[in-house]
Amino acid sequence: MAITALGYALTFGALEPADFTMINGTEIKSLDPAIVSGAPEGRIINALFEGLFRQDPQTVEPIPAICERHEISEDGRTYRFHLRKACQWSDGTPITAHDFVWSWRRFLMPETPAEYAYQLFYIPGAKKFNSGVLEVGDRVEVELANRPNPRQTFPQGTLLRGTLRRITKPPEPQAADGIGEDEQATRRAHWQRRWIYEVEIEGQVRRFRDAKAELSAGDETSAQIEPCQQVLYDFAEVGIQAENDRLLQVTLKEPTPYFLYLMAFYPLYPVNRACVERHGREWMQPENLVTSGPYRLEFRRIRDRIRLRKNPNYWNADQVQLEVIDALAVNSSTTSLNMYMNGEVDWALDPPATVMSELIQRDDLLRAPMLTTYFYRINTTRPGLRDVRVRRALNLAINKQEICDQILGAGQLPARGFVPPGVAGYQGALCGAYDPQAARALLAEAGFSDGHRLPTIELLYNDTEGHRKIAEKIQNDWQKNLGVQAQLRGMEWGVFLDTTDRMQYSVARAGWIGDYPDPNTFLDMFVTDGENNETGWSNARYDEIIQTLAPAEKDPSKRLALLREAEQLLMDQQPIIPIYFYVSLNLVRPYVEGFYPNIQDIHPLHRLRIVPDLRRNHRRSFLRR
Amino acid sequence: MPHDPQQPDAKLDHYVRLLSEAEAIRGVSLGQDAWRRLRRNWVAMVSLVFLVLLGLSALLAPLLPLQSPIRQDLAERRFQPPGADGPALELAETSGGAFEEEIRALFGERTWIDRRLIRGRIALFGQWTVPSLCGTDDLGRDLLARLVWGARVSLMVGLVATLVSLVIGVSYGATAGYLGGRADNLMMRLVDVLYSIPFIFVVIFLITILDDPAIKTRLQSLGINKIMIFYAVIGAIYWLTMARVVRGQVISLKQDQFIEAARTIGASRAGIIFRHLVPNLLSIAIVYLTLTIPSVMLFEAFLSFLGLGVDPPDVSWGILAADGLQVITPVKVYWWLVVFPGLALALTLLALNFLGDGLRDALDPRMKNR
Amino acid sequence: MILFLVKRLIWIGLTLWAVFTASFLLMSSVPGGPFQSERNMSPEVRLRWLERYDLDAPLHEQYTNQLTGLVTRFDLGLSMSLQDFTVNDVIAQGFPVSASLGIFALVFALALGLAAGMVSALWRQSIWDVALMSLATLGIALPNFVLASVLILLLVFKLPIFPSAGWGSLEQLVLPAICLGAPFAAYIARLTRTGLLEILSQDFIRTARAKGLPARRVVLRHALRGALLPVVSFLGPAIAGILTGSLVVERIFALPGLGSHFIEAATQRDYSLAMGMVLFYTALLTTMNLLVDLAYAWLDPRVKLD
Repeated sequence: MAITALGYALTFGALEPADFTMINGTEIKSLDPAIVSGAPEGRIINALFEGLFRQDPQTVEPIPAICERHEISEDGRTYRFHLRKACQWSDGTPITAHDFVWSWRRFLMPETPAEYAYQLFYIPGAKKFNSGVLEVGDRVEVELANRPNPRQTFPQGTLLRGTLRRITKPPEPQAADGIGEDEQATRRAHWQRRWIYEVEIEGQVRRFRDAKAELSAGDETSAQIEPCQQVLYDFAEVGIQAENDRLLQVTLKEPTPYFLYLMAFYPLYPVNRACVERHGREWMQPENLVTSGPYRLEFRRIRDRIRLRKNPNYWNADQVQLEVIDALAVNSSTTSLNMYMNGEVDWALDPPATVMSELIQRDDLLRAPMLTTYFYRINTTRPGLRDVRVRRALNLAINKQEICDQILGAGQLPARGFVPPGVAGYQGALCGAYDPQAARALLAEAGFSDGHRLPTIELLYNDTEGHRKIAEKIQNDWQKNLGVQAQLRGMEWGVFLDTTDRMQYSVARAGWIGDYPDPNTFLDMFVTDGENNETGWSNARYDEIIQTLAPAEKDPSKRLALLREAEQLLMDQQPIIPIYFYVSLNLVRPYVEGFYPNIQDIHPLHRLRIVPDLRRNHRRSFLRR
Repeated sequence: MPHDPQQPDAKLDHYVRLLSEAEAIRGVSLGQDAWRRLRRNWVAMVSLVFLVLLGLSALLAPLLPLQSPIRQDLAERRFQPPGADGPALELAETSGGAFEEEIRALFGERTWIDRRLIRGRIALFGQWTVPSLCGTDDLGRDLLARLVWGARVSLMVGLVATLVSLVIGVSYGATAGYLGGRADNLMMRLVDVLYSIPFIFVVIFLITILDDPAIKTRLQSLGINKIMIFYAVIGAIYWLTMARVVRGQVISLKQDQFIEAARTIGASRAGIIFRHLVPNLLSIAIVYLTLTIPSVMLFEAFLSFLGLGVDPPDVSWGILAADGLQVITPVKVYWWLVVFPGLALALTLLALNFLGDGLRDALDPRMKNR
Repeated sequence: MILFLVKRLIWIGLTLWAVFTASFLLMSSVPGGPFQSERNMSPEVRLRWLERYDLDAPLHEQYTNQLTGLVTRFDLGLSMSLQDFTVNDVIAQGFPVSASLGIFALVFALALGLAAGMVSALWRQSIWDVALMSLATLGIALPNFVLASVLILLLVFKLPIFPSAGWGSLEQLVLPAICLGAPFAAYIARLTRTGLLEILSQDFIRTARAKGLPARRVVLRHALRGALLPVVSFLGPAIAGILTGSLVVERIFALPGLGSHFIEAATQRDYSLAMGMVLFYTALLTTMNLLVDLAYAWLDPRVKLD
């Protein structure tokens, strides 16, 4: 038995060493750019795929990638992207504007389903297409229920285009109390499938209903009703057009100053149509995947490693130095540090905070402020916490400087606002700084002097990555400075998300990573009933600024001033307590060049280079140790 | 013939004497006999003394002149190596609301017994505290105090869970093994099924139920601690191995002559199981017990590792050890943060094991009166 | 014998079904879901995700769908956290890792445990007995992760012998196998010692001794077989446990085995993967237990299979 095992283990060995090995954090969820949202996914997808733009690692500004040059119209609402002639897929076929149209159509199709779909909602019609909510008179496309392979979305069934004339809806089921959000959405969806769409196609009115509809007694059953896959808003009406193979035109509802950043955001990278249509769900398997970026996928071992090999068909392949890259899925920060210190990897992320005071003295720890905020949500519907003075007192009583200096120790900045510094032209709003006296006075003013009669505060956190340490520190501060007793509740991740989502907490830990360097990516989450609000806070002026005034404002500096006003409201009302702004922490071997710390922690792999002499010397000195 | 009242009385006396002699012989019960033999085993006795002392100091932690287990000092006392002087306990008042307030700040939410003990401690030692003999942690808290207070949680967890598992496991296993046949089959399949149920879901499920505000207040009003309940349930998970082992032993025991003998004299099934089989199982059960307490304590550590442990300001050895792991890196080793919790765990479990061995030998029915 | 096997196989089938049902109920009542994250999706998008994995159907339908898929096609569905793979893929990739690690750990544990147990039983109360049993207790008493970090510090950084983590070569397997095997070795040592002492004090051994058989023969031929009973009964679940991996060891050494899949599946509420892992684990466990019972019959002639 032992011999068999030995043989078994040996067959696993004999792996060609990679030129560059990195730690990529948790195992990625998928390689499909359209459906994922995490940072580890981003690192791999940015190596495999490419968009119109990429973000420059030094400045994080968008720089041309597949797009060679672009024009913006006078009113800032029309973008014309000219594609590079040399751009090819890894199978040698050219990348055209049609690929973008098709990929974005796929991205927006409700079936995909893309979490980030709202990033294209700046384009007229995109939201309508994505949500499937139609009005009579709309141009629509009907997909018949005749897909070549019913188990996969692409290729699609026959598409018919026409004008929506009428929707016949069966009576809506009664909204029942006590059922969850998901359950309600499901019921609504089941009901919507039973709708009958009357569409005028080439002068003839035809009636369609979803082939998956589960009919009940009240539904019309007529042979004239044709079964269909879905009825969507006509994608030709969405402001995305391929003028020719190399010219892509996009129109926007409002001038959106950060639109080019979105074009450099990986969910919007195009994917290869032939590949997706041929292989269905298996299209991202290594033997099938066709890529557009500097690397190809060589193999993938679950929760072990992803091996990337240079793509010779990449338009800028000359500039790509590293031939083979291994990205290891390592969860534990201590293990990552061990592997780095032992010379097994060249790049490790997020070393443990406990040894930060030692690491900080090393040259190979690269740091940069990040577009990420660590904060606490306050449930503003709870008695006691309903009072803004209590919320402000809780903020004033936290010694954030000590958290940053002593617990974190990597140069994190104590946060007094929600939007991290580093957004060009934006001066963030501030809430009160550490002041125990004032905090005590405010609490007494609210009628809870020394925390008396204040209901117990339950402080929720997910028990990982040192959140407990910070919670303990804050518990201690509140106790010491206010006499307020907080009960800590460390939770398992899934339960934590569910509990905060259902707002069964008093105070809960949170973090937010900006998707693009603009205050909007932070501030739009606190509009009334926003999906990520979760504090019960609502403010009419705030909603007005975020939803109508700022998007319509053409003058960038006035727009930023409006956003600042909104942030100030947020800080005054204090439904959240900002704690600190993150710092990106990367341990990178000194022989690696082209690695630039930046506010979005973006490090494109194809820009990295290794200096062979330095590496040899480094190895030698390492072994001598 | 005159009635001689003495005669029957003398007979009675005789019987009474016989009876009392017989009682005197049976008077050396299994327990006394075992205790006599256990006392001769010095390793076991040392372990017993150690465990008793540990238990006492955990129980009386508030009375000891320790530093506060939760008071932080980020500015001055982070990562102090062992030996630093202890700061005076910041207890200015000695009674009234302010005093209660200070106790809360220094020791967290405590029962009235603990508060009384803390008062006693002030009376005995004043504000003096033991130096940080085990160093301080990353928030500047005294590790020694945390170890002693953590012993409370860890020991309780181990005891509660293990006792529950012992009771269920032994009776279940013995019953299944003795009944044999279809009943045994059914009972063991149930164990197999329970074995395979994903314990992590069970644990998460339990925690959420116990965390539910309505249930929590109800439990509190009954005076029941959430941790207690939780680990009683953990014990209810842990009995499975015990049941299997006990059953295996019973299957091989039940063909022994003394069981046959009991059956021939007409002892009932339950009687045979609990009077004759279970005492013979004690030795194996006790060995398992000494193995289960450590694994429960480690399970607690594992749950802490997953973020399902006790909530601060409570602390357990599991949490301390898991935190210690964080500071063992090639860059810097704060050795005391892993050595002392590891030592506490290891010593306790070592003592438990030696005591278990001693008990095994002492309780063996075959060794009776030897 | 054949009848016994058939009966047991039917039982295994029933056990799997019971475990499936119990896990299904448990998972559906635990809070949280696979498509929750710190960045909330809109209800519409989440619904699409639920539809994709047939989670929008009523519970009883989900139950029957999954059960039929499982029984007819042996199909556990797509993983919800590793969206490019089916659950079968994940298990197929993870099991060899756990198995080779587990076999190494087991060989290590058995060799060390049996030897130590025998030595300390035969030379009872000697310095060897106390030393070996203290060591065994340490093996049980030290949390896995403490042992692992000490070994890493010593054998990776102080003496650069082994790599610190990862999967791919034989030397990457040594440290995790030791860490995984150590507590099992300790258990086996203690059980062997106890069992052996028990047997050695019994009459038939005395008879064998009285007959003048050499001590070594008595121990190896007569005593050891009986003494192994508790060890064997411990091995059944232990093998299944060891084979499906240990989260802590796999996490510290960054090994892509089943242990890490299981815990990740549970925390990310990847229902299909968690179910797959549970069923796989159950199948393994019940098979191991069957083997244990067969071994019992072989080791102890008094035990009858029925």
